[in-house]
Amino acid sequence: MMFRQFFVNRFWALVKKEINQILRNKQLLILLIIPPTIQLLIYGFALNPDVHHLKLGVVDYSQTVESRELISALTENQIFDIASLSFDENDLAQQVETGKLAVGLVIPPTFSRDLTKGKTAEIQVFIDGVDANTAGIANGYINQMVQQFGLKYVDEAIAPPVNTEVIFFYNPGLTSSWFFVPGVMGLVLTLIGSIVSSVTVVREKDTGTLEQLLMTPAEAWEILMAKVVPLFVLLIGDVLLALSIGRVIFNVPFRGSFPLFMVLSGLYVFVGIGVGIMLATLCQSQQQVVLTTFFINLPMVQLSGAIAPIETMPKFFQYLSLLNPLRHYIAIVRGILLKGVGLEALWLHVIALACFAVVLLAISTNRFRSQLS
Amino acid sequence: MKRILSQCVKELAQFRRDRLTLALAFVLPLMTLLIFGFAIRLEAKDIPLAVQDFDNSILSHHYSDRLFATNQFQPVPTPANPEIALDGNVARAVVIIPPDFSRQIAAGNSTDVQVIVDGSDANNARVIKNSIKATTRSFLETEGLIPTSNPIKAETRLWFNPGRQESLYIVPGVYAVVLWIFPSLLAAIAMVREKEKGTILQVYASDLSAAELILGKALAYLVVGMGIAVVVMGLGSLIFQLSLAGDPTPLLVSTPLYLWASVMFGLMLGARANTQNAAVQGVSLVGFLTALLLSGFIYPVSNIPFPLSLISNIVPARYFILITRDAYVRGVGWVGVWFDLVMIAGLGFVLFNVAKKNLQRMQLGE
Repeated sequence: MMFRQFFVNRFWALVKKEINQILRNKQLLILLIIPPTIQLLIYGFALNPDVHHLKLGVVDYSQTVESRELISALTENQIFDIASLSFDENDLAQQVETGKLAVGLVIPPTFSRDLTKGKTAEIQVFIDGVDANTAGIANGYINQMVQQFGLKYVDEAIAPPVNTEVIFFYNPGLTSSWFFVPGVMGLVLTLIGSIVSSVTVVREKDTGTLEQLLMTPAEAWEILMAKVVPLFVLLIGDVLLALSIGRVIFNVPFRGSFPLFMVLSGLYVFVGIGVGIMLATLCQSQQQVVLTTFFINLPMVQLSGAIAPIETMPKFFQYLSLLNPLRHYIAIVRGILLKGVGLEALWLHVIALACFAVVLLAISTNRFRSQLS
Repeated sequence: MKRILSQCVKELAQFRRDRLTLALAFVLPLMTLLIFGFAIRLEAKDIPLAVQDFDNSILSHHYSDRLFATNQFQPVPTPANPEIALDGNVARAVVIIPPDFSRQIAAGNSTDVQVIVDGSDANNARVIKNSIKATTRSFLETEGLIPTSNPIKAETRLWFNPGRQESLYIVPGVYAVVLWIFPSLLAAIAMVREKEKGTILQVYASDLSAAELILGKALAYLVVGMGIAVVVMGLGSLIFQLSLAGDPTPLLVSTPLYLWASVMFGLMLGARANTQNAAVQGVSLVGFLTALLLSGFIYPVSNIPFPLSLISNIVPARYFILITRDAYVRGVGWVGVWFDLVMIAGLGFVLFNVAKKNLQRMQLGE
């Protein structure tokens, strides 16, 4: 009993020392608040894949009711905005070439004559293909709209025998930020968690106070635990900060269970701390730590599905991403927030995350201990 | 001039001695190039799609074969319940063919095929919807169920990139991102190291002016930056098979100017920050975020909403991306990009002056 009392006191003294140190370090507190906020806001607002308001240039040689109807059919749902109307085909071509226009449309003089006579009317479309993704989507839209417009001129207007009725689950309004925000929440936690924890450990190494701590009767694992606990609390604060920004500013829904979200986020925070401490044991100075976190975080973030969806990556990178804890965490956050699913759908990701947390913490504490003794 | 040069030589000697920084300067940019170049793909391919065929007739089999005829969809086992397949990320979309599919069509009635799409990735959800609709139409045309003769034929030409190869779009953008982040990071570290070690006080005490100090360091990192540029652009073009599309002189002229702006940006942050940690954080937060997100690297600049779109006007990477894309894809040359070059030069000049101001404030009066 006496012994236990003694241990608890010593442990709390260490924790208190860490908390004091963190609270005194204004830079660390700023680091915990400002970068996550800025990152969430910029990623959330600036990553916008919507294809709309593409600049359309039109050369209409036909100048008839039909040709004008075609133009308004193309522009009515705001995917294309008319940026130039002229009679100069060469100028139109040049503007698409220099990227001033995304799409150029040439309607020939015979357009409405052919259309009303039942002949096939040809129109010419130039698309700036530099942005392959946007060009492909724009191309699809044009074909679809032209097709629909053309159906009005077919004599026997028959209803198509198959209707495709499309329902969007989870995000019926197709708000693109709902996809990115959960991804960026994971990204922010990874960056901040690994940097903050590695810096706090290494600082002690840098200043030589770690040796002093070792002279005290405290065990190595106690020293480490005392470091991890306050960091854990602070990073949970970051989880809540990121979640509130997502909810309040981006209106991302929260459909699943809050306790489950917090427990799994806690698990991920351990992964972040594990990465950070491991880096700290590998490096000798703060400078090295900060630079090596760059090495680790860049591939971790890029191969996580935070920005570009996993399925669109080449197969090799898809398999590689299975080894990335961030990928699993992002899948969990998207699952809980957007889909409202629980463990029954997420268990594989949870197991993977737990394995990473255990392995990383085990390796890093081991290294930490062996470096001390 | 001589003082600037000797400052530059000293800086390069220091740079060569530090193994980690040397690795940072060449390994990390290459790694970034490879990861961005290979892993950022926006076009949806191999989307897991499940088909629930309650009809199980020849016609319905033709229809589902048709859906998987291109590489866009990848069949996954039919789930018992479509919701579970979407919940568990097994499928991105489920097509449900009703039991009376072929009977209704044979009777001349219309039938409803239900498509349930996972909307959490809004962009791909839209692509999936459009693609299933288009496939359905072409299925009906080949089965002779709707007339194939289309009254309007759009003759479409995709310029520059007829195969819609995404690396042509991404890789030139990666050049701009990489050449922004790493030279500025190195320069910022060099500047702040001098402060941390206290050697900056010796500089203050000497008669070296702020401008001379900055120019000396800038020259050194400009040389390093050129090295990075040659390695990254050379290997990048080799690996991703890019070739110059036209007149290379705009690229040749603007690359040093862009590196200059990048180095100045780093020196400016380095002059402000007091610790290396803060400098690296500053570069990675401000430099990385702006070059990655406010430059049109991933999605078009015109998609950035209002207050942020103002910032994107002063992001040099935005202009350099237009130049690299012109050099490797468009090939228009000077007519298309002179303005971007002027903007880069102007921003570089402004950054130099801000860095100088920051440093002068530290120095004793002349």
